[in-house]
Amino acid sequence: MVLQDIIFWLLAAIMLAAALGVVLVRDLFRAALLLVTVFLAVAGFFVLLSAQFLAVVQVLVYAGAVAILLVFAVMLTKDVARGNQPNRLRLPAAGLAGLALAVFIAVAVTTGWTPLPPSVQEQAALVQTQASGGTTPEGLEQAGISGEVQRSQAQRATLADLLLGEYVVPFEAVSVLLLAAAVGSLALLRGRPQG
Amino acid sequence: MSTVTENLYLLTPEFLLAALALLVFALDLVLPESRKTWLAWIGMAGLTALAIFSVRMLAGRTESLYGGLLAVDQFSLFFKVFFMGLGVFIILSSVDFVKQHLSHPGEFYGILLFSILGMNMMAQARELVTAYIALELLSFSLYVLTAYARGNPKSNEAALKYIIIGAFSTAVLLYGISMIYSVAGSTHFDALAETLSSPGQAGPVLWVGVAFLVAGLGFKLAAVPFHMWAPDVYEGAPLPVTAYLAIASKAGAAALALRLISEGLVPAREVWPHWQIILAALAAASMLVGNLVALAQRNLKRLMAYSSIGHVGYLLAGMAALNIGGGMAANGIIFYLVGYAATSLVVFAALISFFNQTGQEEIADLAGLADRQPLLAAAIAIGLFSLAGLPIFAGFTIKFYLFAAVAQGGFLWLAGLAIFSSLISLYYYLQVIRQMYIQPVPGTAPDASGHGEEPSHTASHGQAVAGHASETAAAALRTPTGMLLAVVVAGLVAVLALGVYPGPLLEAIERASQVILPGI
Amino acid sequence: MAPLVYFQILSAALFVIGLYGVLARRSAVLVVMSIELMLNAVNINLIAAASHLEGQGRFLNFDGHIIAIFVITIAAAEIGLALAIILRMYRNRATVDVDEINLMKW
Repeated sequence: MVLQDIIFWLLAAIMLAAALGVVLVRDLFRAALLLVTVFLAVAGFFVLLSAQFLAVVQVLVYAGAVAILLVFAVMLTKDVARGNQPNRLRLPAAGLAGLALAVFIAVAVTTGWTPLPPSVQEQAALVQTQASGGTTPEGLEQAGISGEVQRSQAQRATLADLLLGEYVVPFEAVSVLLLAAAVGSLALLRGRPQG
Repeated sequence: MSTVTENLYLLTPEFLLAALALLVFALDLVLPESRKTWLAWIGMAGLTALAIFSVRMLAGRTESLYGGLLAVDQFSLFFKVFFMGLGVFIILSSVDFVKQHLSHPGEFYGILLFSILGMNMMAQARELVTAYIALELLSFSLYVLTAYARGNPKSNEAALKYIIIGAFSTAVLLYGISMIYSVAGSTHFDALAETLSSPGQAGPVLWVGVAFLVAGLGFKLAAVPFHMWAPDVYEGAPLPVTAYLAIASKAGAAALALRLISEGLVPAREVWPHWQIILAALAAASMLVGNLVALAQRNLKRLMAYSSIGHVGYLLAGMAALNIGGGMAANGIIFYLVGYAATSLVVFAALISFFNQTGQEEIADLAGLADRQPLLAAAIAIGLFSLAGLPIFAGFTIKFYLFAAVAQGGFLWLAGLAIFSSLISLYYYLQVIRQMYIQPVPGTAPDASGHGEEPSHTASHGQAVAGHASETAAAALRTPTGMLLAVVVAGLVAVLALGVYPGPLLEAIERASQVILPGI
Repeated sequence: MAPLVYFQILSAALFVIGLYGVLARRSAVLVVMSIELMLNAVNINLIAAASHLEGQGRFLNFDGHIIAIFVITIAAAEIGLALAIILRMYRNRATVDVDEINLMKW
């Protein structure tokens, strides 16, 4: 537990410092690299929250693909030379952001969250850890999930079952959306067809 | 797994629509450049067939799929048919424009079809994430279509502003969703209502979440104070896309908001009525700002943008008045969407025709249009009168019905404000009409001095200055081309029909709104 | 594990940093990056909530994970499209400075 707390605070410090760096440093290229740091720190939080699959997706998609796209964009637009300048809205923006932060913190602190009992939390963590692969009977046994109903529920709770079961229509809609985005980007950048 | 495929066939229209878009993309690869117009006809024929098919397949059915993720019911059926019909008319009015001004027609029509798919999903979604994905499908298509005039810096600029503001508003919306999820443990609309009714200690998080949700949707609807992108995007986008933005995207977002409010907020009205105040405030601000700023506009597209912000204000007023047993407001909103769509189609089709012939889009350029093209001028004038809400046109009946519902729902002051801002709007619509009917044709004076010819209203005008380049352009296209003419005429018929005899449509609308607000 | 409130405050901090970046920076590419910060804040919120929630009729609540996967996917697509538009803009105007993108008044 202590180790987890240390990791939490360490990651929090790294993430917030890097995020501030993204919006404040003058060099756009450095901003892109700091953004990658933020992505990796967020992946670390996902591991802490026992969402390993999400952590992997985060590293692959964000720290991998998105970061490279952004670096390309920075290079292609030659925006590096000009750097990351603030506009005249800097003070109002900072004020608004501070206000929003105060509201969020006030709301989060005043709300009485009812956490799951620790034993359930551990079970949850276990199932989540295995959620990407499917939960083995031994794993469930270990976590003290014994009842027949509970076990079948736990086994149906895997991400794949949800994604291709209850959420299959949004899933397919997302695939259409990706196609639309790809076709659209090509149509905007491809040269004029000949003839 | 049986649970997956059980009801999947109910989504056949959606699958076929996606297939239609793919067909358009595929045919685009093999058709020669001169035959690309076929793609538009295929799209229109497909949409028409699908609309008929949906009605025959789904009429009278009310089903909930995937544990309440999607609803296939009369409400979504009504909007499906509405959106596909709109799609047909939008494609019809963009064929000439695309041929003249845009490259890559295949992708244009295909993406347009994808966006219609997105809107159909929006009308069906009963869950925030599904709704969000459908909304993004629509938004992505619109970003691309806005940027479609690739060489035009204004179009690029509009698209850049649109996607930045759009992505930002998406982030805000998602943050709201994540807050709601962290309290309710679910993103279904009815779970939201349940949690709002008995929030326990989690009230503040929930309220902030709902506020963010409303703000995110407000961006998409372009309600004041989230409207700043709309005028620029409308101005920069290619004209048919502007029409599409003004009519269809708004109807899609309104359909989503209607179901969200009816199922997610209305049941919690006793415990947390503040959402009505928020919506009423947004409505009042949108009406006033939209209509007042429209007074100062000189560009036709910007004028239509601000005017549409005003119309969003009326819609929001209707949404604030939604209530259990107050189905009149829901009817009013849907009726308003249909009437507004028909009217705007007339205006935009006429403007597209005008733009195709002259390449102009300032209000001042319309001067003397009544002499040059009486039919076009009359169509624009009727459309604008209808938008302002004058009797015998659709604009009057829809406004009357909606404002009455708003007043009945306990927002008398809002109804009064709506009538007042309608009067303001009449003023700037009349300014446009004055340009067309009273101002002389600009450039007539130099023409007349050069040719020693009399003013333009003589019958021989066309031949007299036939050698003059700009005049040949006007003369060659004296009447709108067949397709745009068809849109204008169909729109005019709808505007008059709705203004005089709205009964049958209202019955269909009542069937639709009874699903989302039962107990009427 | 750290309490949920810590994660929420962390997420809020990340969100407002992104908000500041969107409002106060001139480079369109950086504005896009800031929006990514905001979306990452959303994901932290979702995953943290998912691990602290009762399961609404199921054994456990994984909806948050699903939503986060969708958010990551769509965000990636959004970036691709935004960069396409930014590049288009750059080819036509040789700038991506939001303050110089002013053919039309805001």
